[in-house]
Amino acid sequence: MTRKTDGTPVQPRLAAPNPYGTETSSFVTWAVRLRMPIVLALLVIVATILTDGVFARKENLVNVARQISFEALIAFGMTLIITTGGIDLSVGSLVAMTGVVAAIAMRGIGADSASLCILVGLLAGVVVGAGFGTASGTIITRFSLPPFIVTLGGMLIARGLGFIFCSGQPIYEGLPEQLTTLGSGFVLPGLLGKTLPVPVLVMLIGFAVFWLLLARSVFGRSVIAIGSNEEAARLSGIPVRRTKLMVYVLTGGLCGLVGVMHSAKLMAADPKIGEMWELNVIAAVVVGGTSLFGGRGTIPGTLVGALIIGVLNNSLNLLHVQHFWQKVVLGVVILLAALLDAGLSRLGKSR
Amino acid sequence: MTFSKRSLLPVVCLVLLSLLGCKKEAQDASAPSGKAQAKTTIGVTLLTVQHAFYQDLRTGLQEEADKHGYELLISTGEFDSTRQANQIDEFIVQRVSAIVVSPCDSRSVGASIVQANEAGIPVFTADIASTSKRGKVVSHIASDNRAGGRQAAELLAKALDGTGKVVILSHPEVASVTDRVEGFKERLKDHPGIEIVAELSTQGKRDKAVKVMEDLLQSHPDLTGVFGINDDSALGALAAIEAAGKLGKIKIVGYDATPEARAKIETGAIYGDVIQTPKLIGQLTINAIHGFLNNKPPPSVIPVAVGAYTKESD
Repeated sequence: MTRKTDGTPVQPRLAAPNPYGTETSSFVTWAVRLRMPIVLALLVIVATILTDGVFARKENLVNVARQISFEALIAFGMTLIITTGGIDLSVGSLVAMTGVVAAIAMRGIGADSASLCILVGLLAGVVVGAGFGTASGTIITRFSLPPFIVTLGGMLIARGLGFIFCSGQPIYEGLPEQLTTLGSGFVLPGLLGKTLPVPVLVMLIGFAVFWLLLARSVFGRSVIAIGSNEEAARLSGIPVRRTKLMVYVLTGGLCGLVGVMHSAKLMAADPKIGEMWELNVIAAVVVGGTSLFGGRGTIPGTLVGALIIGVLNNSLNLLHVQHFWQKVVLGVVILLAALLDAGLSRLGKSR
Repeated sequence: MTFSKRSLLPVVCLVLLSLLGCKKEAQDASAPSGKAQAKTTIGVTLLTVQHAFYQDLRTGLQEEADKHGYELLISTGEFDSTRQANQIDEFIVQRVSAIVVSPCDSRSVGASIVQANEAGIPVFTADIASTSKRGKVVSHIASDNRAGGRQAAELLAKALDGTGKVVILSHPEVASVTDRVEGFKERLKDHPGIEIVAELSTQGKRDKAVKVMEDLLQSHPDLTGVFGINDDSALGALAAIEAAGKLGKIKIVGYDATPEARAKIETGAIYGDVIQTPKLIGQLTINAIHGFLNNKPPPSVIPVAVGAYTKESD
């Protein structure tokens, strides 16, 4: 059962018995299966060499993990959405809006009772985010509208509301000092030192939950079935509407959680943040091997995708690559990943 | 253009009348201006009114216009260049005496300026220039960004006592920012003890600034100074520096002095800011129009001074 060791579910196109059964072809099967982790490993090696080892220092690795944690969390939800054949363009705006809402809630409670204040902030962010996802999901499923256009509308609405709620001015006063732990603190600093940032722990928990959800639950099976063939899924009794609605609710909730943590990191709620996040998140999901046409997606793949993009961004900054070239390099890598994915999966299929 | 012929006659009459009016005003310039120019209207279309900067600019325009008895028709493009082009069309139809525009798009605004030129209406740009080769702008009134960059260099040099390693958090897509960065580099040449070790883009956004600063702290552990081309860059850098426990070891200079940045300057977390004077830009714009309408053509570029905001400065 070699192909289950990385935890990804067995993919139908590779599930067919290998007609050759030789050592070489099983090696190829392995390479095909692990293509993205291999790309990541190569990237890490190149980055380490080019930066004279700065990349591989512990502090920088912790830094990269922390930098990808927000977008990776949202990408886990986005993986479910894309696997159903949908898309959500509103995530970046929603992070900004929920961050503002949470800050307003916390300011209202007052910094005197810090833990209550932070709890209310988290709750406000997650509830409002999930509520927004409910609205998008309901419109998509009730009226059978394309998710692209519904969430494009949602993107503008969330961005606008974020500005309206705070009158365009970042909120930075009246937030409890302890909030900073949520965004830039470390887990058990006394014991572990600066090894495990709080957002990374949250991301890892999200990873475990969404991995189990997609790969090991009935809900996850439904998500994949809907993305493969919605009509067939409906006919076989899968609650299509409810499942599709749920993936937008979950992603909205994740955006809310990230919104609060991002405000905590900045110790300010800024309505301008989160621009282009939707594209970074979608890129991580697709680089991670999830099909934009639905029916195929894995959470570990998405984590690898987020890591590839994170490592790339970090090393380009470490190398002081000029801004415009950074865009070109990132674009080329995304294209190469897509080409590699298409080419290798064809190779896998032909065998 | 079904109404063009019928509307042409009143338009022509208006042109003649306003020409006469102008001449008359010019003749008795010594007369109290309030009465003579009571009918002078100026069409204004701004980039946005959401930003505090433009709210102040608008106040400056209004106060100075009130002084001269001009009527202002203020609209806003809100980053939409098509909407702004329509607003300029409306000003041309209304036969305003002058048009002030803060272009939503520095290039495409050229077409609107040509139309205003053809209608004989003088055009002034405030804060953002037209980079189009088409159309003639009487005068461009804006902060001297290059001087702002020099000011930032002075602030940082003072904070660092003339020696250290600094980074620039830039936004190279924006022309005014490139001017700031050039001014900054130009003045730092006078401080050979300070070395610029990197220049990276934050796109003027705080979330991007945090990430870039986190990476720079990895590649340059011996960093001592940061110049953020706007306050979102400076505040993002501050968040990363604070999280890394390097607060106070790295001096930050920002740009604009937003209320949030001022609060951080008060606590000493940010050393100082270059401060623009949008209200003054508004006032000088109306002054330039006043000069133009009274046969005193203003210079084609009016640079508006910038200042410094530090803990000591208040």
